[in-house]
Amino acid sequence: MINVLAAAEWGGEFDGVLDDINALFDFPFIFEFTIAGETYGINRTIIIAWIMMLVVGVVFFLGTRKADIVPGKLQAFIELIVDFNAGIAHDIIGDKGKKFVPILTTFFCAIFVLNLAKITPFMMMPPTGRIAWPLFLAGIAWLIYVGVGIQQQGFLGYFKGVAFPSGVPWPLYIILTPIEIISTLVLRPATLAIRLFANMVAGHILVVITLVTPWIFLPSPAGWPIGVFTVIAGPLVFGFELFIIGLQAYIFSMLTAVYIDSSMEAH
Amino acid sequence: MLLTSTLILAAENGGAGGIDLFPDTSELVMGLVAFLLLAAFMTKFAVPKLMETLEARAEVVRSSQEQAQAMLQEAEAAKRSYDAEIGDAKGEANRIIEEARATAEQLKAEVLQRAEAEAAQIVERAQADIAGERERVVQDLRAQVGSISVELAARIVERELDQATHEGLVDEYIQRLSSQN
Repeated sequence: MINVLAAAEWGGEFDGVLDDINALFDFPFIFEFTIAGETYGINRTIIIAWIMMLVVGVVFFLGTRKADIVPGKLQAFIELIVDFNAGIAHDIIGDKGKKFVPILTTFFCAIFVLNLAKITPFMMMPPTGRIAWPLFLAGIAWLIYVGVGIQQQGFLGYFKGVAFPSGVPWPLYIILTPIEIISTLVLRPATLAIRLFANMVAGHILVVITLVTPWIFLPSPAGWPIGVFTVIAGPLVFGFELFIIGLQAYIFSMLTAVYIDSSMEAH
Repeated sequence: MLLTSTLILAAENGGAGGIDLFPDTSELVMGLVAFLLLAAFMTKFAVPKLMETLEARAEVVRSSQEQAQAMLQEAEAAKRSYDAEIGDAKGEANRIIEEARATAEQLKAEVLQRAEAEAAQIVERAQADIAGERERVVQDLRAQVGSISVELAARIVERELDQATHEGLVDEYIQRLSSQN
């Protein structure tokens, strides 16, 4: 598996090195350690994720360190991102959305850079293509919108609102209540996570195929046109992936805002 | 070729081992810790600080706009006042010009009238002078004719008048008259 990635990035032999698709995603631990009897490890994906989180933190630190009314270039760039998320919050949640701008911005930036690792040279692996990242991101989103619901409507009020939507004849609750509970409390976070995860998995496979194909087909006497086609298609695939990267970050932030908004008032 | 078909097959069938749908504990914990650290920094420091700056900027823009609006209104009021003053001044200037023109017309008429009166007076005086002079000349002439007639009669009486003498007397008389004038 390491051979495949090494070959994809720097060239090498491919034949027979990949017999498991999971080899493109699951990296072995570089080193392991034990905390409270539990063994943890650090692998390539974790390092990529840490670097990307650090990049966001450093960029925001440098951009806001000397935040001024007349912004510099970096501050203007960060303001653009924050303003974009403030726009999402305001459009969906309204005036009350202002206090959710920081967390929505964090979601957007973190998911964007974690996705971006998919097409970043020497990384070429999106941590969001591993289920752990979409899961905890969706879990945090779940905690936020359920927390907001409980805070705004009270514990019973919120869950009553979720289970028994108002304006529905009571016999319908027999069907509607389980659907609503599962939909709000299970399907929402699950779809958030799976949407992001599936997009990144598919994107990563597409990128790997785009990079590997020319290496295999270009030297082939019969298959070289396919190799040429993939070389030409490469930049287009990367452009398309960049679009998907941004789109998924936007969708996650926007849907989180929608779920927060739905928790603000009983339905 | 072999690898690509393997890749495509693996993607279609989930591969021999399939894609992990169960999270790796290390990735979950390490990823979560990194995200939470970033989230803490972003939600407590970076974004709120930036939003404060954005609000401060909005406030500065708002106050500058209000100030500019106030200054604009002030300038408009001043312009209105200046326009009114300029209008007044123009009216005053026109009034003065009209007054001056009227005064000049009046003066012109007076001067003309006076000149005409004086001219008429001069002509009248001249006519009176001429008439007087004429009267005096007629009087003088009348007196002289009288005295000459008396003198001529006396001479006629004094000597016997023949035709030649008579003619000589008349010539003499005329000559005397001519020399007198």
